[in-house]
Amino acid sequence: MTNYGLVIDQERCIGCQACAVSCKQENNVPMGQFWNRVLTEGGDKIDTPSGGYPEDGGSGSLDMQYQPTACQHCENAPCVKVCPVNATYTRDDGIVEIDYDKCIGCRYCMAACPYNARVFNWDEPDHMPEEGTGDVAARPQGVVEKCTFCSHRVDEGLDPACVVNCPADARIFGDLDDEGSTVSKYINEYETDQLLEDRGTNPKTHYISGEMSPGRPQTSDKMESELDDVSPWSDGSEDVPAEASESDSSGSGGSHHSIEGDAAPHVPAVGSGGDD
Amino acid sequence: MTDNDGLYRRDVLKAGGAAAALGLGGGEFLQGLAERGDETAASKRDPGIESYVGQNDVIQTVCSPNCRGKCPIDVHVRDGQVKKVEPHPPEDEQYKRACVLGLSHTQRVYDPTRLKYPMKRTDWSPDEPNPDGRGPDAEFERVSWDEALDLVADKMQSLKADFGPESVLFHVGFGNYGQSGQAFSRLASLFGSTQPASTIDTNVGRGFNRVTGTGFYLPSTNESEDWENANTIIVWGSDIFSSQFQMDASKVLDAVENGAKLVVVDPVYTTTASKADLWLPVKPGKDVHLALAMMHTVFEDGTYDEQFLRKRTTGPALVRKDTGTLLKSSTVFEDGSDDKVVAVEQGSNTPVELEPETDGPYALFGEYTVDGIECETALTRLRDHVADYAPSKVAEQTGVDAENIRTAVRWLATRGPGGIAPSYALGRYKHGHIFGQTYAMLMGLTGDYGQHGNIHAHHSGGATLSTGGWSTPEDADPGPSVRFSDYPDAMIDGDPHKIRAAYSIESNMMGNQFPDRQRFREAIKSLEMYVVADMHHTDTVQHADIILPVPHWFEQEDIVSSWGSHPHISYRHKVQEPMWEARDDYYAIRGLAERLGFGDYFPETKRELLRELASRDDAIDFETLSEQGTQKKQNIPIVKFTDAFPTDTGRIKMYDDDAPSEEGVTFDLPRPLEDRTADDYEKADEYPLMFMQKHSRFRIHSQYEMLNWVREVNPEPQLDIHPSDAKARGIEDGQYVRVYNDRGEMIVKAKYNEAFQPGLVNTDQGWWSRDYLKGHHNDLTHNEVSEIGQTMSFYDVRVAVEPAPDDLDTEKYETDNPRGTGAETSRAGGD
Repeated sequence: MTNYGLVIDQERCIGCQACAVSCKQENNVPMGQFWNRVLTEGGDKIDTPSGGYPEDGGSGSLDMQYQPTACQHCENAPCVKVCPVNATYTRDDGIVEIDYDKCIGCRYCMAACPYNARVFNWDEPDHMPEEGTGDVAARPQGVVEKCTFCSHRVDEGLDPACVVNCPADARIFGDLDDEGSTVSKYINEYETDQLLEDRGTNPKTHYISGEMSPGRPQTSDKMESELDDVSPWSDGSEDVPAEASESDSSGSGGSHHSIEGDAAPHVPAVGSGGDD
Repeated sequence: MTDNDGLYRRDVLKAGGAAAALGLGGGEFLQGLAERGDETAASKRDPGIESYVGQNDVIQTVCSPNCRGKCPIDVHVRDGQVKKVEPHPPEDEQYKRACVLGLSHTQRVYDPTRLKYPMKRTDWSPDEPNPDGRGPDAEFERVSWDEALDLVADKMQSLKADFGPESVLFHVGFGNYGQSGQAFSRLASLFGSTQPASTIDTNVGRGFNRVTGTGFYLPSTNESEDWENANTIIVWGSDIFSSQFQMDASKVLDAVENGAKLVVVDPVYTTTASKADLWLPVKPGKDVHLALAMMHTVFEDGTYDEQFLRKRTTGPALVRKDTGTLLKSSTVFEDGSDDKVVAVEQGSNTPVELEPETDGPYALFGEYTVDGIECETALTRLRDHVADYAPSKVAEQTGVDAENIRTAVRWLATRGPGGIAPSYALGRYKHGHIFGQTYAMLMGLTGDYGQHGNIHAHHSGGATLSTGGWSTPEDADPGPSVRFSDYPDAMIDGDPHKIRAAYSIESNMMGNQFPDRQRFREAIKSLEMYVVADMHHTDTVQHADIILPVPHWFEQEDIVSSWGSHPHISYRHKVQEPMWEARDDYYAIRGLAERLGFGDYFPETKRELLRELASRDDAIDFETLSEQGTQKKQNIPIVKFTDAFPTDTGRIKMYDDDAPSEEGVTFDLPRPLEDRTADDYEKADEYPLMFMQKHSRFRIHSQYEMLNWVREVNPEPQLDIHPSDAKARGIEDGQYVRVYNDRGEMIVKAKYNEAFQPGLVNTDQGWWSRDYLKGHHNDLTHNEVSEIGQTMSFYDVRVAVEPAPDDLDTEKYETDNPRGTGAETSRAGGD
């Protein structure tokens, strides 16, 4: 079986928002809404750290990381369970999707989603440009919408737009059931987190945090399964993974950002509207 | 924002509302867009088609602002409309790239700020310029292209006859990396006009040049494909993951993943700092002190690269104690040269002439007497000079922990090839050239030149189309140059000569980007004619007498250089025909050339121009370039500084006996000199906060200001301020504040940000006037430049901050509205 999943290397992510905007472009996400938000894990506001500016000239306690967050495509998706009309469903390949013709706008799914991944069209959606790409189904006023892993692209053998457009090679898409896929390898080899693991949702989005991976350089928008060679200018599978080569680092300065594996994944407060 | 605020978007973004917002005379100005909107509405989706994936026409072209991307992109077009932008891998696929801005071009192509028709200021005429009519309230009327070009050419001719051709300035900025600027300069040369000399971002490069013989802007550095070989990367004063190397982020990340140590020296805890192994939170202006402390550590540890110093630097060269000059070969040897310098061999103390790129058993340290002349080695002088800068001694002054200073430079000196990647930010302090000198010498000590893994700047060299002097024909008599920073003096006071008219392309500098903006606006008011060509209705355009509308890049055919970016030349294929009456700059330049009597010098079409220019570059083939879309210039070296340095001695200067002086300080050796960051600066009490204008990921200078997708993430200008500085002034997080000094003011929203050092505040650059509730960040900056660095020092600025007045009208940004309902009623277009 095919079971699509996404790995996001937060050590590589530079918070550039290319994925957020690519998503908006590809999927005609209405103005005022984002399916994919690049959250700052740190201070209260975008691009601000937690901790305090060092007063002693040391590296201090400041910490900041980016967490791109969209629908996690949970194996055990709460949104699917609560939908009274079966508008939200899980495809055979694991992608969670919405049938907009069935959606009655009750928003139970939004309440059920612990990741605040869904947005609701309170008004007639407004797009720029007005017609959008035409690549995806139009969504009317009164329905809920969210990330589809770009299923319309996946069906054509193409990676999701956010993956293709990441300049940091930080997003890797592929088949979690294929042991040879990069997503499977990275989940095995690196410390990865799923958001809110204790909820039992078993998201198919996995976050690398701690040791940086080589990411997945892309020269094509084709999915990995459609390519002969994963990393066109590296050594393919040999490239995965490299042990940290040095341990002589720290001195008194050392690494100043927390790389403990038990750092709690950051999840935005539910109810902020899904577009902060 | 909330889910239910979709309404305002329509209000703001529909063409009708935006037309009112532009504050222009001539309601027809935006009519074209409205018409276009109607067409759009008419062509609904074919009900039989579920998805247009794979159905679009895809045209490969290239994004072309003054950034470090120069990203080859695919533009998807259907039904005559741009639908989508995606990156297109260039010939060398590892340089695939694109950023949040380039990916949002659909927002820019159809934005209401696009200029549509040639316009003339209503109350301007060649004989009665009515300068007071210029500015925010200026009104414009539509004219034909012929009328516009006739007016401009006639005025240029009459000024030339009365006052000489240098009374006209041809100003070109950096807003487009195509080739029209070549034609512009060619016409300027033929006409004999005054030409511009850049005083932006040349500071650090000039200092580096004093040591190595190269550098104007930042020095060239190994192409980014080599960066993964670095073992230590010291990013100095640059948020490269946001503003410079963003498109090549993967290259730095790969180095880190390979085990490189990433050090970030910055007063701000940036995105880049958040990825670093070690962050040094230096105080603004103390970078030279810090680098001297690093040299101190290298000497103390004995980790300098002896072989490199002997072979490629003047470290072993003897300095005469009597004169302070280097001992010349001609002084010692009968057949010696005035250009060559002398060392002694270790042990025998025999004097020898130093050849470039030649190793030998030269003494690096010590005092020697040659022919009765008492000398010491250059390296001895340097070592003794930096003895005063022990890390423990400068720790408090620089704000950086002494052991962390040592750790950073020990990584650079002992972990193998690596480098220092400084930014233009260091050059935005008045005497930033000294840092250029200092780090060039520091890397000379550690031997970090000419190897894989060496880095010398925060962006790589890239490729430029070599056009072999086409812009200066042999029979031309080019006029004088005037520096950017001297424009006001020339325009207002006639110093060095009076500039009476200006023709500007590819630049939003005069109205927005130059420091001390009000002074430049005064300068514009002193002109008899100000002609501005642009894609958008910028602040600068609002101050023009004649407006020439330039099409979006997708509507221009061009060849794009990738200076500072990647080693390809790219072909900018036209995605669509120019909308409305917008015309390529080349159309106007050639039209003026014909009217001014130089028509024969310019090929008839842009295509012919491009063919001519491409034919001058041996590494480029026009057909290949056009067909492939990109061509990698194979003659671009990946590793730089592999040959003799272009200095008198062919070596890096570790002591400069012909050094310039400034404010009583001589730079034979790197000596700190500060302006407004100095602890005893006279107005430090009055204006206690340093003010910088960081380059964010949301702007390329003032370009892309109008992207609505991006504005949802980054809605309005803010003042990053440390909570302690804010609280001391009674300022709450999110409150509007007045930022002011003795030049001007601006009103922006305060953003508590622990990433900013107390005493330092920031507003990201690139905002237009219409984005501020009042004033502008460049009303606060000043236009003083160092005579050595010759660079506008945007960050060497002090301000005071207080809560904004109570009666402030904040409607523009109320209810989390990214672009603001106020935009409809305010005169948002020009000011």
